[in-house]
Amino acid sequence: MVDDDKIYHFILKNILNKNDIAIDSSFFENGQDALEILKEEISSNNFPDMILLDINMPIMDGWQFLEEFRKLKSDHNLTIQVYLVTSSNDVVDLQRASSFENEISDYFLKPINEVEICKLFATELE
Amino acid sequence: MPLDIFPNSLQQVDKINFFNKLLSQIPDLIFQMTVSEDGKVKFPFLSESVINHFELTESEINLDTIEVMKNKIVPEDFQKLLDSIVLSKKNKQDWIFEFRCNLPVKGLRWFRVRATIEEDTNKGAVFYGRVNDNTESRIQAQKLKISEERYQFALEASSEGIWDLDLNTKKVFFSSQSMKMLHFEEKDAVLDIAAWDDRIHPDDREKYEKDILLHLENKTPFYKNLQRVLTADNQYKWVLSRGKIIDRDEDGTPLRLIGTHTDISKQIEKEQELKRTLEIFSEQNKKLLNFAHIVSHNLRSHAGNFKMLLDIIETEEDLEIKEETLKYLRINSNDLSETIENLKELVDIHSDLKPTKEHLNLKDYLKKMLNLLSEEFNKHKVEVKIAIPKDTTVYFNPAYLESILLNFSTNAVKYSHPDKTPIIHYDFYYEDGYKILSIADNGLGIDLEKHGDSLFGMYKTFHRHPNSRGLGLFMSKNQIEAMGGRITVESKVNLGTIFKIYFND
Repeated sequence: MVDDDKIYHFILKNILNKNDIAIDSSFFENGQDALEILKEEISSNNFPDMILLDINMPIMDGWQFLEEFRKLKSDHNLTIQVYLVTSSNDVVDLQRASSFENEISDYFLKPINEVEICKLFATELE
Repeated sequence: MPLDIFPNSLQQVDKINFFNKLLSQIPDLIFQMTVSEDGKVKFPFLSESVINHFELTESEINLDTIEVMKNKIVPEDFQKLLDSIVLSKKNKQDWIFEFRCNLPVKGLRWFRVRATIEEDTNKGAVFYGRVNDNTESRIQAQKLKISEERYQFALEASSEGIWDLDLNTKKVFFSSQSMKMLHFEEKDAVLDIAAWDDRIHPDDREKYEKDILLHLENKTPFYKNLQRVLTADNQYKWVLSRGKIIDRDEDGTPLRLIGTHTDISKQIEKEQELKRTLEIFSEQNKKLLNFAHIVSHNLRSHAGNFKMLLDIIETEEDLEIKEETLKYLRINSNDLSETIENLKELVDIHSDLKPTKEHLNLKDYLKKMLNLLSEEFNKHKVEVKIAIPKDTTVYFNPAYLESILLNFSTNAVKYSHPDKTPIIHYDFYYEDGYKILSIADNGLGIDLEKHGDSLFGMYKTFHRHPNSRGLGLFMSKNQIEAMGGRITVESKVNLGTIFKIYFND
């Protein structure tokens, strides 16, 4: 999860615990930190299956992350699923998201719905 | 060239024939009239054309001339005609008179008589003269008179000025209204074309010349140009000038251009006022919309957090987790309070309360602010460089100045580059008459191509630092603008950012 709001880190952890969803998870507060780790993971061929990505973040925001991710994805034929999780329902952001349709699998509006998130993990786990 | 000299060969009889032939060529009625001492009028000679002129019948030809005249001439003119004969005889002057006749076929006709007088031996007078039908020229003159009256009325009654340019002499007739428009004496004038052209605003001159040329070259059906013209008291007025070529020579070269001047300064002023009002409204509307966005965005995310955290407290049994959730509830509550506080400040800037302005010593205020931040700056080993003259003052609201200095300084530290020692330059200088404070850092920088548009927007808090007040830049911008100033930004990613504050004093 890449989100500068630590409350979301806490909430997601809680959802995973409560619903016995056994996955490895790591949390980042900005795109740059996440990108650095992701690059390391790719070079060691041990990268995540999915990324929950916020848009408005300091240092490197969601869009900048997605642009870097686009290159990585095509260079390494990655199958990582990226889900936007943001409180922005701004038309401009929605339009911008559509320019990343190859990188983004879905767009979730905050506050996140526990049932929806659980369903998402269930599908991914299958 | 023999004038009025008969050919020598002519006999008396031949002479009469000769005259008759000549007379028959004259369309006018030729006559001799005698007036005796007691005023009796007789016509010893009348040319045959009298029959045509007055539509005489066979029987009328045999009647007494005066009798026939009485019948033909309009009654009120007949007496006047007789009176004028008496007057001419008395004053020994040529007889000139105009009268009307009611004729059976031609209807009402105007005739003009002109005769020279000779005294005869019996104290009477002899007149030699001619009568011609001048109805057509009377009608033309009347028509011309009516049309001139109309034109004169139009000139005077209209608020438009009339101009009439002679392209050969380059002289222009300007109607009194055109002169009045420029605050000159309200009187028609014929002036050199330069008298007007030299008064046209330099910025409008080129277009004016182009518009005239287009019409002279027959490329436009009318000439039309909007121009600012200098009045006698050195003010510019907006004048709409329109015209059309009304005369060309055989080669098609224009000779005369006539047109109008309309003073539309008031309309233009109204238009500009309307435009300004619209701009203000649209700006306000944009701000309101922005404000609605940020309120909904901020409140929604906080409300969402509350809901999710409360859900955990309700369903979770683990006390440890419950307690951690409470901790996050507190954080969320604090964040919300801060957001609301920011929004309130924002509303205050935009409310009608005019913040007071004072002359403030810029360096003193900066030092005071740096003192407040000394702990934070020391922690980050911030290097501060100040180049502000000691006595520099700015005319500003004290609270706003504190808030702005604080905001830009803390931002510089928050977004400092992790690999560099943060350096902040505070410089003061003048540019184009403005007092400018520039605050430059060597931090992360901002990608202006990506964020330039939304940098000062209150909604886009793209740098949401953990401690950041997302509204900071937006607030500072609003405070600066509320004081009549403005702010610009230059930035390069990884090199740093320079904010320039333009003071309006």
